[in-house]
Amino acid sequence: MEERTPVLEMRDIVKIYPDGTKALKGVTIKVYEGEILGLLGENGAGKTTLMKILFGMLKPTKGRIFLRGKEVRFKSPADAIANGIGMVHQHFTLVEVFNALENIILGMEGHGLFSKIDVENARKKLQKLMDELNFQVPLDVPVEKLPVGTQQRIEILKMLYRNVDILILDEPTAVLTPIEVKELFAVLRKLKAQGKTIIFISHKLNEVMEITDRVTVIRKGQVVGTVKTSEATPQLLARMMVGRDVVLRIEKPPKEPGEVVFRVENLWVKGDRGEEAVRGLTFEVRAGEIFGIAGVEGNGQSELIEAITGLRKVEKGKIYLKGVDITGKKPRDLYDMGVAHIPEDRTHMGLILEMTVMENAILGMHWRKEFSKDLGLINWAKVEEHSNRLIKEFEIVAPGTKAPVKSLSGGNQQKLIVAREVSKKPEFIIAAQPTRGVDVASTEYIRNYLVKLRNENKAVLLVSADLDEVLQLSDRMAIMYEGQFMGIVKPDEVTEEQIGLMMGGVKA
Amino acid sequence: MTALEELKGYIRPLGESVLAILIGALIGAIVLWLSGYNAVAAYKALIQGSFGSLGNFAETLSKSTPLILTAITFAIGARTGLFNIGAEGAVYFGAIAAVAITQSIQNPLAGILAGLFIGALWMLPAAVLKVYRGVHEVISTIMFNWIAFYLASWLALQVFENPMNPNSTLPIPPGARLPLLVKNSTLSLAFVIAVITAVVVYVIMWHTKLGYELRTSGLNSRAAEYGGINPRKAMLWSFIIGGMTAGLAGALQVMGIPPSYSISQGLANVYGYGFDGIGVSLVGRNHPLGIIFAGILFGALNAGATLMQQTGVPLEMVKVIEGIIIVAVAVPGLLDLFLKPLRRGKA
Amino acid sequence: MNETFVISLLLGSLAAMVPIALTSIGAVISERAGVVNIGYEGILMLSAFFGAIFAELANNGWVGLLGGALTGLVIGMIHGVITVYLKGDHVIPGIGINLIGYGGVAFGILAYWGTAGQHQVAPSAQIKPLWMDAFGNSLSPMVPITIAIAFIAWWMLFKTPFGLRIRAVGENPEAADALGINVELYRFTAVLIASALAGVAGAYLSVDWLGTVTKTIAAGRGFIALANMVFSGWNPIIALGGAFLFGFFDNFAIYIQNNPWLAGTIPWQFIATLPYVVTLVVVAGIIGRARPPKWDGRPYKRE
Repeated sequence: MEERTPVLEMRDIVKIYPDGTKALKGVTIKVYEGEILGLLGENGAGKTTLMKILFGMLKPTKGRIFLRGKEVRFKSPADAIANGIGMVHQHFTLVEVFNALENIILGMEGHGLFSKIDVENARKKLQKLMDELNFQVPLDVPVEKLPVGTQQRIEILKMLYRNVDILILDEPTAVLTPIEVKELFAVLRKLKAQGKTIIFISHKLNEVMEITDRVTVIRKGQVVGTVKTSEATPQLLARMMVGRDVVLRIEKPPKEPGEVVFRVENLWVKGDRGEEAVRGLTFEVRAGEIFGIAGVEGNGQSELIEAITGLRKVEKGKIYLKGVDITGKKPRDLYDMGVAHIPEDRTHMGLILEMTVMENAILGMHWRKEFSKDLGLINWAKVEEHSNRLIKEFEIVAPGTKAPVKSLSGGNQQKLIVAREVSKKPEFIIAAQPTRGVDVASTEYIRNYLVKLRNENKAVLLVSADLDEVLQLSDRMAIMYEGQFMGIVKPDEVTEEQIGLMMGGVKA
Repeated sequence: MTALEELKGYIRPLGESVLAILIGALIGAIVLWLSGYNAVAAYKALIQGSFGSLGNFAETLSKSTPLILTAITFAIGARTGLFNIGAEGAVYFGAIAAVAITQSIQNPLAGILAGLFIGALWMLPAAVLKVYRGVHEVISTIMFNWIAFYLASWLALQVFENPMNPNSTLPIPPGARLPLLVKNSTLSLAFVIAVITAVVVYVIMWHTKLGYELRTSGLNSRAAEYGGINPRKAMLWSFIIGGMTAGLAGALQVMGIPPSYSISQGLANVYGYGFDGIGVSLVGRNHPLGIIFAGILFGALNAGATLMQQTGVPLEMVKVIEGIIIVAVAVPGLLDLFLKPLRRGKA
Repeated sequence: MNETFVISLLLGSLAAMVPIALTSIGAVISERAGVVNIGYEGILMLSAFFGAIFAELANNGWVGLLGGALTGLVIGMIHGVITVYLKGDHVIPGIGINLIGYGGVAFGILAYWGTAGQHQVAPSAQIKPLWMDAFGNSLSPMVPITIAIAFIAWWMLFKTPFGLRIRAVGENPEAADALGINVELYRFTAVLIASALAGVAGAYLSVDWLGTVTKTIAAGRGFIALANMVFSGWNPIIALGGAFLFGFFDNFAIYIQNNPWLAGTIPWQFIATLPYVVTLVVVAGIIGRARPPKWDGRPYKRE
């Protein structure tokens, strides 16, 4: 059917990271001139890695790239841009204090390095570009003062100013309001009409259905298939995106949950940029229950966890632990009250990589009597015993208790965190992305341990972008989208298709 | 993990420091040679003057005393993620506090406590500006050092001045002086106090909850917060303890150094230790125990400089060597720069 | 207060402004590109020394300034290689350079001229003033040159492609890198410009303003220049004004010391602390309003 030569082809792309993670296992995609190709997949499916390879930011382990039939290899983004490929990242690369004009012309200001920048000429060119696309951005205001949607347009203009004809957009709607999304789509349609080719990376089904011509679905570093959007349904795409075989075996006997241990009421939390990251959540976690929160990352999960663990300010709402109001309590008080927290960011929060296993084994409990001597001294002998106990009990492979934690593998680092948090003897455990980047054996161990905690009548809040994990472990689960729950369901009473829809922002 | 393996962790930093010292000595020799001096004779005198006899060695240890303490100020800051270069000012005030209090309380302990207290007090404004106003500690501590210099000059020469000798303060009364360890030298109990202080700081930093919190904040403030530690509080403590050791350096400098037992020649005998301490700390890898040895090395350079001067080489040459050592320490992976080509050559 | 006093205070302030302004302007350029350097004090010392040597060898003050610039360049290269290319810490090298500066100049004065602590630069090797009166007040050609440099630096930073790139690599090197800008080259160049300017400032001390080399000739001006840079909000023209204020306070303190009535009331040391106290108050007050470049002092490594 499609006999034309693709304007761009990525053939058998393999990417293995230095730590052995296989991000891409031989991916081939074809892009035709003047189309909008959707690249659909979950977090960690490999979409962004693939595009970073195309854009010259990462080197592929294997594979070839053909642009207009000629093999190419880009050493840097600048190289890719020079060849007509532009990319707008999820996190913008704008100089915040520069205005739009400065951001756009940076690196191709024209004239000599030490002559006056010809601002008027650049302004004229940009005005023409904006008129063609039927939108305006203020060119003289520092971009940090502009709304996210406008910043994104500046990023698009920056690429167009460099005459790119293939434009990659990585999760472009993740940060936009619904109105901004509409406006973005109008721009994309204009670009398409001008003959530009667009690669649209997303996990949102409705958007992919609305804007793309064809969709390539990627799952776990492999292409599941490519379909024409006109012939696809959201249900089909959802199945392609999440349908999978279960690898790990988790024993989970049925159990009646007990009393409410943890309760959140109408919780509102702001994100780093002041946006409403969590919008009026209400839920409870009972003793002997794993409550899972699934959803694509960046939908407010991080802010939710930080708020309930005392690391971020609560704007509105209340948090209760065993009926006691704990809103605004410091982490230290929470730990003493029976909260444990397996944080999502293992290397920047959960551990201090330069410190030893022993030192890390008491983070967040170093003030406890069992590790103390008189005069504020730490009883290192007791700490060593404690560390050895954790190592033994959790089968952590470590060179020793005095080895720096950075010498441990990712899986063993994570086990150490889990071991430490559990040793705090908590009533309520928050486990955020507990198995991300962890090898299969450790993953299985950690998941089984969370179930064990549940069986021991603890309350567990599991937050994970790994849908499998949430489905397997949870007794009840919620799907989070843009700071709200799309629904609270029981994993065995819901189809994968329904979950896929909810993750894509369609309420159940 | 065996003790041997634990020791291995120290070999790399030790190697880098030794290499930096060698580079300093080598470039120093080249500078001497280019300036027309006999570098060999100069270095011989330098070593003779610092280690050649019991008296000379006593001088080395005496000279190292304030350096060890001011280095600790910097080291505690560095371990807490701060560039605290405000030891200099705290030294002046520690000295003045000791002079002041011992006029009425003729007991060395009073002088020591006054030094500790005033040193910490002097460091507080910089700490508050950092924690509550976000003023970078490099800028604030440098400004405070200058303010300290003028205020201390005024206190030393106009408030506590010695009417018999207008260029120095009142001397420490005999009852508050520290006993000498070696006759006819300037080595007093002050050196022992400095070493004990270094050991105490080591214990605080590596064996107490407070030290654990300071180090955690310095390495990873996000993880610290997660672990129930307040990084701001850690910073305040870091300034306070650092101020105490610097203040102590000043107090010991007047209570333990004969013959004057006072701040003399303007501020000359309390001046510059804060800055030199930074180098000592860097060479000692910001570790209190490493600092003892680095302090003795720098003390040796200062003590030996006097004899080196007799070969005609200006004694400031040792500052040049110290400076080169610090620049060399600043080169990341210094050891690798030298070892890698060597290994490649072998392969 | 009579007319002579006002003229002498004004000219004295301008003369004192020059070294602080030049160093601050350099520091602004370097930090705009994201490289911190606290070694300006050492650069001032060494370039005052070598500048005097160059000037006396050529019997020309301008050659002295050139020699100072060269001295600054060499030290800047060391700092640049360590911080920009080897990704080392930005603060530590400066600590070493300052120590070398103070030790090296004290050593050098003895080693080269054979005098202890001080050397008078031959009048013929000094820069001739533009204007001079009977009381010894004078105006150096470096005053208008410094003012011009401030405006040129401002124009370069904010109006030319070069400046745009300098500021981009200091704010967001990743963004600049993605657009094909050689982050390391621009950062290194900025460090060299800064060090050369500090080098000229150092030579100005010895071959122009003070006409002497002493072992404490920089007298903290390298550090004051850094504070002035913060005060200026990283803007060369405001840095020029700030430097003038520092120069003014400096001269004012000397005036008070020499005024028997005032000196009897307030210890002169209190007046001498004024510039530093003012700096602290101003810096504490403006943090939050003016902020440093986002990547200031952070090495940039590509992913």
